[in-house]
Formats: sequence, C-alpha cells, structure tokens
Amino acid sequence: MFLQSGLANPNTNVSIILPEVIVAVAGIVVMLYDTFFPKQRAVTGIISIVGLVLSAIVLLMMWSDGASAATAWGGMIANDNLRLSFSLVFLLVTAMTVLISVVWTEREDVPIGEYHSLLMFATVGMLFMASGNDLVILFLGLETSSLATYVMAGLRRTDLRSNESAMKYFILGSFASAFLLYGMALIYGATGTTNISEIAARVADPNFPALLLVGGAMLIIGFGFKVATVPFHVWTPDVYEGAPTPVTAFMASGPKTAAFAAFVRVFVLGFPLVAGASVSGYLHESWINALTIMAMLTMTVGNIAAIVQNNVKRMLAYSSIAHAGYALVGFVGAGMATTVEKRDAAIASVAFYMLTYAITNLGAFAIVNLLAQRNDRRTEFEDYNGIGFKTPVLAFSLSLFMLSLLGLPLTAGFMGKVLVFRPALEAGNLMLTLLVIVAVVNTAISAYYYLRLIVVMFFRERTDEWIAPRIPAALAVVLVITVLGVFYFGILSDNVIEKFSRSPAAAAIRAER
Amino acid sequence: MDFITENLLTILILLPVVGALLTLGHALFWRQEGGLKWITLGFTVLNFLLSLFLILDKGASTASGFFFEKNVPWIRAINTNYHVGVDGISLWLVVLTTFIMPIAVLSTWHAIEKRPTAFYVFLLLLESAMLGVFVSLDLLVFYLFFEASLVPMFFLIGIWGGENRVYAAVKFFIYTALGSLLMLAAIIGLYYLHATATGVGTFDYVTLLNTMQAGALNFPAGSLTGTLLFFAFALAFAIKVPLFPFHTWLPDAHTEAPTAGSVVLAAVMLKMGTYGLMRFNFTLFPEASREFAYLFIILAIIGIIYGALVAMVQPDVKRLVAYSSVSHMGFVILGMFSFTELGMQGALYQMLNHGVSTGALFLLVGYIYERRHTRAISDFGGLSSVMPIYATLFVFTSMSSIGLPFLNGFVGEFLIMLGMWNSSALPITSQVNWNYVATMFAGTGVIFAAVYLLWMIQRVFFGKITNQRNRDLTDLNWREIGLIAPLLFLMVYMGVYPRPFLDASKQSVLAVQQRVTERQAGGTIEQAEIKSEATH
Repeated sequence: MFLQSGLANPNTNVSIILPEVIVAVAGIVVMLYDTFFPKQRAVTGIISIVGLVLSAIVLLMMWSDGASAATAWGGMIANDNLRLSFSLVFLLVTAMTVLISVVWTEREDVPIGEYHSLLMFATVGMLFMASGNDLVILFLGLETSSLATYVMAGLRRTDLRSNESAMKYFILGSFASAFLLYGMALIYGATGTTNISEIAARVADPNFPALLLVGGAMLIIGFGFKVATVPFHVWTPDVYEGAPTPVTAFMASGPKTAAFAAFVRVFVLGFPLVAGASVSGYLHESWINALTIMAMLTMTVGNIAAIVQNNVKRMLAYSSIAHAGYALVGFVGAGMATTVEKRDAAIASVAFYMLTYAITNLGAFAIVNLLAQRNDRRTEFEDYNGIGFKTPVLAFSLSLFMLSLLGLPLTAGFMGKVLVFRPALEAGNLMLTLLVIVAVVNTAISAYYYLRLIVVMFFRERTDEWIAPRIPAALAVVLVITVLGVFYFGILSDNVIEKFSRSPAAAAIRAER
Repeated sequence: MDFITENLLTILILLPVVGALLTLGHALFWRQEGGLKWITLGFTVLNFLLSLFLILDKGASTASGFFFEKNVPWIRAINTNYHVGVDGISLWLVVLTTFIMPIAVLSTWHAIEKRPTAFYVFLLLLESAMLGVFVSLDLLVFYLFFEASLVPMFFLIGIWGGENRVYAAVKFFIYTALGSLLMLAAIIGLYYLHATATGVGTFDYVTLLNTMQAGALNFPAGSLTGTLLFFAFALAFAIKVPLFPFHTWLPDAHTEAPTAGSVVLAAVMLKMGTYGLMRFNFTLFPEASREFAYLFIILAIIGIIYGALVAMVQPDVKRLVAYSSVSHMGFVILGMFSFTELGMQGALYQMLNHGVSTGALFLLVGYIYERRHTRAISDFGGLSSVMPIYATLFVFTSMSSIGLPFLNGFVGEFLIMLGMWNSSALPITSQVNWNYVATMFAGTGVIFAAVYLLWMIQRVFFGKITNQRNRDLTDLNWREIGLIAPLLFLMVYMGVYPRPFLDASKQSVLAVQQRVTERQAGGTIEQAEIKSEATH
C-alpha cells in the first residue's frame, strides 16, 4: 500500500531540500571552475561562501514562514527544528572553515579548488544527516561527509603525519560505517521499515525484538565512533593531530555535530518509550543507560587525557572528546523527556551546545592554525610561551575561547552547559543527576588544561626571538565573528534559544501518512 | 537624574566596563600609557560618587524589601531575569567595593610598569563583576558575576604577581571554580524543584523565597535534597571566605598578588563568600543552616585559632596578614551562625571592618615592598627611627585589626561575641552551654591577634636598625598618606559611631534572622531582641 501510494504520488517536494541542492551545486561549480582555471586562488572560496550563504538564507526563510511541509520525499526528509537548527550550524562551520583555510592554502600550495569542493560535498552530506528521516538517507549523508573528510585529512600529501591521519581515519571510519550499516539492516529486519517515524510507531511491537536490540547496540557503536565517545574515541587524537589544522577545525565542529544530529534523530525520535510495551521499554532503558555511562566515561577520559598533552592540537582533540560527553548529557535528557515540548527543548539544547562549541572551537583552531606556521610545526605548548603581549589580539582571543570551552559565564560555553544540564536534571532521575554532577566535576578538571594555555601565553616569559604573525583579512573576519559570537551567545542568546526550542508542532513524529 | 536613580545599579555595574573600553581605546589609538591611570582613577571615583546615591536617596523599597530594583527578562527559554537590587545587607558591601577601588588604583600609581593597559582594564572589569555579585537577585546572574570575577583576578595575580604567581593564580582559580560549579548544579536543581512544586521553574531569588515562605517548596529538617543543596551552596562560599580547611589558596594568592590585587581580594572578594552564605544559604535553606550550624561554628573557631597561630610564625609580613584574614573571617562566620541579631549585625559590620583594616594593612605592606622589594620580617628592624610616619600608621592600623576599643575592629568582634554568647545555635545542656564555650574559644583569637601583630611590629619597627640597607629609606610621601587617610578615618569613625551602619542594615538582617530561626523552638528570637534593645 505504502509503496504504491508512494509511487503514484512521490511527493518530490524539491523546495524542501533546496538548501542541500544549493550547496551541492556550489560544490560542482567549484569543481568545474577549478578545472578550467586551475591558477585561481580565491574564486572558488568566494563561490563556496556565496553558496553557503544562499543556502542559509533559504533555510532561514523556510524557518520563519513555517508553512513548509513537515516531511517530504515520501517521509524520507524531515523538516523540523532539529534539521533547521543543526543545518545552520553546519553552514556556519563550513563558511568559517573556508575563511580559516586561507592562511593554510596560501602557505602550503594546497590544491585549492579540490579542497573547496570536498568541503562543500562534506557539507551536503552533513546537511542530509540532519534532514534525513530515513536510515538510508542518514547513511548516505554520513558516507558522503565521511569520504570527503577522509580525503581532506590527507591533503598534505608529503607529510607523513597527514597520511597517517587520513589512513587511520579511513580504516577505522569504514569499520564504524560497517557497524552502522549492519545495525540499520537489523533494525530493518526487526521493524520492516527504514523510516524513522515508522520505526517509532512499530518499536513497541517489532517482529523480532532481539534483532531490534542488537541493531540498536550496533547503531550506538557506529554513531559513537562518529561523535568520538569513549570507548570509541581512540582514533581522534591521532587523526586530529595529523590532519592539517583547518581540516581538524572542520572535523571537530562539523561532522561531529552532524553525527550528533543523526544520532539524536535515530534514538530520541526513533526509539521512544511507548507506554505499556515491554520491548520499547527495554530498548529505551538500555540505550539511556548505555549513553549515560558513555557520557560519563567520555567526559572523564577526555578531560583527564587532555591534562597530560603537550601538543595544543592534541589537547583540543581530547577536549573535543570531552565536549561530546557534555552534549550527550542533553541528549540523554532529551531521551528522558516526558512531553514533546520538553523533548524538543532538550534537542534544541544539544543543537545550541554544538553551536557554541563549534563557534568557540573554530575560533581557537583559527588562531592555532595561524600560529602553527608552515607544516603545522609550532603546535606544542612550548611554542606558546610568553607570546601573550607580543600578539595581544590573538592571545586574548585565544584566552577567551579557552574560557568559553571551560564554560565560564558571559561566554557561549556557559550558556551551552546550562542548557544541556537542565533537561538532565529535569528528568528527576538519580542516575541523570549523578551524570550532571560528573559533568560539573569534569568542568572543574578541564579548568586545569584550558588555563594552562593562558598561563603559558601570559604568565611565562619568552626567551628567544618571536615575531608575531600578520593577521590576514580572512582570519580577521573569522576572529571578529567568533569573538562576537562567543559573547553574543553568552549574553544575548535569548532569541536564538527561543528559535531553536520553539517547535512548529513536533513535526517528525506526526509524519504525514 | 531620574534616569540615574532608576538604573543606578546597572550604571554602577556598567560604568567600569565603559572605563575599561576607554582605557583600551586610549592605549590603542594614542599609544601612550601616561593617561591610563587617570582614566581608571576617574571612572572608579565616579563610580564611588554614584554609589553614594544608594545611601542618600533610597527611594521606595519594593514589596520584596529591595531598593533600586530592576527586573528585566534575560533569557526567556530558561526564565532567567536580569534582576538587581540592594538591601541593608548588600548596601554597605557595594559602597565598600566602590570605595576601595580608587584606593587600589592609587596604590599602584608607580608600581605597575609592565603592561599598564591590561592591568587597569582587568582592575575595572573586576570592579564590575564584584558589584554584580552583591546586587544580583537572580541566582544565575549571581553565579555569572561570581565566576566572572575570577578571571580578572586570575590575570592580575598571574601577570603582575610575585615569584610564585603561576602556582598561586592557578590554585586560586581551580579552587574557587570547583566550588562555584557545584553551586551551579545546585542552582539548576533549585530551578527544577521549583518547577515541580509550582509548574514554573525560576532562578529568581525573590520568587524562590516567596514560594518557600508560602510553603509550596521547602526542605524539612534532615531532608537529603535540602542538605545537598545547602552544602553545594555553602561549599562555594566557604572556599571563597575562606573557611578552614578550604583556606589554603588564600595565603598563596594574597602573597603573590600585586598590592592592588591583595587589597581588593581581602577587602571585597572574601566578602562575596560571607555575603552569599547570609543571603542565600540562610534564607533558602534555614533548616539545614540550623542543622549544620555547629559544623560551621566549629570550623570557624578552628579557623580563628589556627589562622592566628600560623600567622604568628610567618616570616613574611604579607603572608602574616593573609593568615590573619583566615582568623578574622572565622569571626564573621561565627557571628553569622549564631543566628542572633547582634551576632549577624556584628558579622556584617566585621566584613566592612576587615575590608578597611586588612585593606589598609596590605597597602602598608605594599609601601614597604615598593621601597625594599622584600617583605621578610628578618630583613627589617628598627624602621620606626627612619620612617616614623609609616610606623605610626602601621601600629594604628594593627590596633584596629586587633580590635582596640574605639576603633572599628572592636565593635564588630564585640557584637559577634555577644551574639554568640546569647545564641542557641549550639546545644544547651544542664551541665554546659556550648555557646559559651564557643565564645570563649573565639575570644582567644583576639588575644592571639594581638600577639602576632604586636610581635611582628616589634621585630619590624622597634629596636636597632639591623640591616644597613634600611638606613636611607624615605618616609611616606603625600600620595601614600592621602591614600590611606580615608581608611584611617573610617577606622575611627566606625569605631566611635557605628550607628548609621548598623541602622541601615538592621531591617534586612532582622528579616534574614527571622527567616533562619523561623521554626526554631522558642527563646532565641525574644532573647536576642531584648539584648539588642539593651545595647541601643
């Protein structure tokens, strides 16, 4: 029945996926332009940014008119707040990455058109990970973004560390994708559908409960790898350290956030607690427990490992692991929410958290990238010794980003933390309360290594000569946006949060049928 | 004019930020550093003058008992408001802050050669944050300022501090941040509890208090939630005060901080802890406050005696003064947890006294450090013959710190001990009234204070000049005397005529006292009332 009506009326509402299409077209234009004018250095960057901005405008229009359909393409694409808010984060991340990369591409003679088109295709994948309401779409999006990212990690072909990074990322990443795909297959076996709204409807009474549980476990492994949660995190530090710094910035903010979007959609919306059904209860309880424990481990391992790092990029890599743990707090809170409003507010808090993390992290990586010089040589803590007053703008901005990552009030990081802790405490459940306490203690632990960078920059003296790098225009733009963003989301985030959490009637669940 | 009085608190908070931006702009565009301190001084003085409006023109108090109240929504999604106001408890602390800041700026008039721009910017930002702490009535906003005050101080210690500054700065930051993060968890917890009780979550202190007084939300004695929340708040404040055994960050931070930093730290930042206990712990968790009063009284007494004993053996003058803070702040805690009007008024008064006296002591230590670049007691001796004015002022200030009658310290300590004596916070059995015992132990602290300060004075100022390098020290100049003069004046004024200070805080303190003793079994309130009548 479903198949037939789908064929007769395929509901191919192209306007719904217009943002994705725009970015994809921009990517293709970039690729073609680069083929015909290989000497160019800036044009493809401009095309990319124009594409991203157009896509963002379309998204914002779709958001404000609110009249767009809740789902499209036979229910394969969801058009809800989860999609809209996360998509905007991705577009911001990619645009910032293009700007950050200017320093690097000029310095190292990177195949620039290739790089920009890969970045755009990765973004298309990420956008589909937020909008896909079907396991297949999610997987396609994930693979599109992953494949592009694998290549980007190895773009510095002559550098062994970059090669190692790409190789590790590729092998482990494909392994995780296999888990994910296997899990999806099992879920399909258990419920007979790959549509997430359908799964949610059938989860109470699946054909094969055991398959459902095993499939769920496989999905946790696969997504856990992509968002880098402990114990599936071991690839992160090596890959992040070896990849070119702008690519690291992108990986830590973009694909990670995208994986969160898909993760949240599958688990919170796909595996809800259906009253009176034992299978759904067991599934729900299991994934909540598993993610709670993973969140605790992720934060603790990430923070403690970050303390002993002597390389700034590696430190930021472990910090990004820890931040995945904090975001999971809001995620679990969303899973435990009792009403649709609370659930959407909790999902919004995760999106907002990733937004604050992304903007702070991009700012930090932009500076690390500038200071690293050719071939990422200067990324040890020692290289930052006493540079504080030699380059005050960079050093104070970097300190601000560190304080925001730490979650100090008046910065974006603080707002993000408050918002993700709230749904977890709201659940009024002992384990989740414990989770928040673990998160709070972890924040205090993290103070040590974030402060260390500030200490090194400002409180130590530089013994050798050090010449402050000139700040190129593109980077100045990034710094202005990120610094203002950190303060804006920290102080005046009222409207943004409102926008993120006000749901035009919980779209995905009441999918048209 | 109306605009100023209506938004007075906001202006007080924002003015230093404007000053900081101007300082920054000045340094960026004129590229010369001569005018910086004048801008900073101008803004701090202006802020002080504005804060005097708080005393002069109180305006009408709102229903919640606060003056100059301002309440505008901040983040609607989590129902948090920018809600500020002053009452008798915070009034003097705000004025103390604005009063100390110009002195702190002047104290470093010549001492800061390294990076003056950043120094003055951080000093001004610190003032904003500290003022925000004392006036915010929304728990989230309070937390925000409480944490924000850490950052400028962290930089002040870390960049302009002494030899061991990095260790001191990091320790200071992590200690205080850990405490306040647990408080954040408790604040969010309260939000959720309020939401379950009434359907609406709130961070607003006044709303929370009203809900609790209406009985819709309360933590009966012995309830786990109430105890946990109480301790999450109390830990943050106890670290800040600092209460024994959480005091170890203080000697390091004080000793390494530049003079302005030490003055601000001692005079204002420590009070954020005691203020928080009185404002939030007592009123939000009265049952738990009473239940665990014994713990705080014991720790306060240990702090009083331990701080004094350790101060006695310090080889460094600044470290000695730092440990004396541990001892003095013990008195404040003791007075607060006596839950009597006298004790609590005395505690509030002692907060101001400590700000004035210890601030002055740090200034004086700073003077000699600028001259000799050492603070070790053994490097000095016989200074009174080369620096008579300095010696006189130092002895005078020490007397105030010891608590000589007719100087400010006496009033505070006397009220605290009187309050503790009449308290029923500790058990009273037929054999022994433990409140008397506590008072007696605390009383020894006064004696010890005399011992360590006078002994130090003897070694530094009297006898023969032992170190030849001290022979040609110059005495204080007019700037230095002028700087400390207002503090000396306050020491005498507050010692002779405490009425205006105590009267202004009376109503608010009584309200807190009534709230915290509300369900206590008879006697306490009436007893305290009678005593307070007798003293007036």
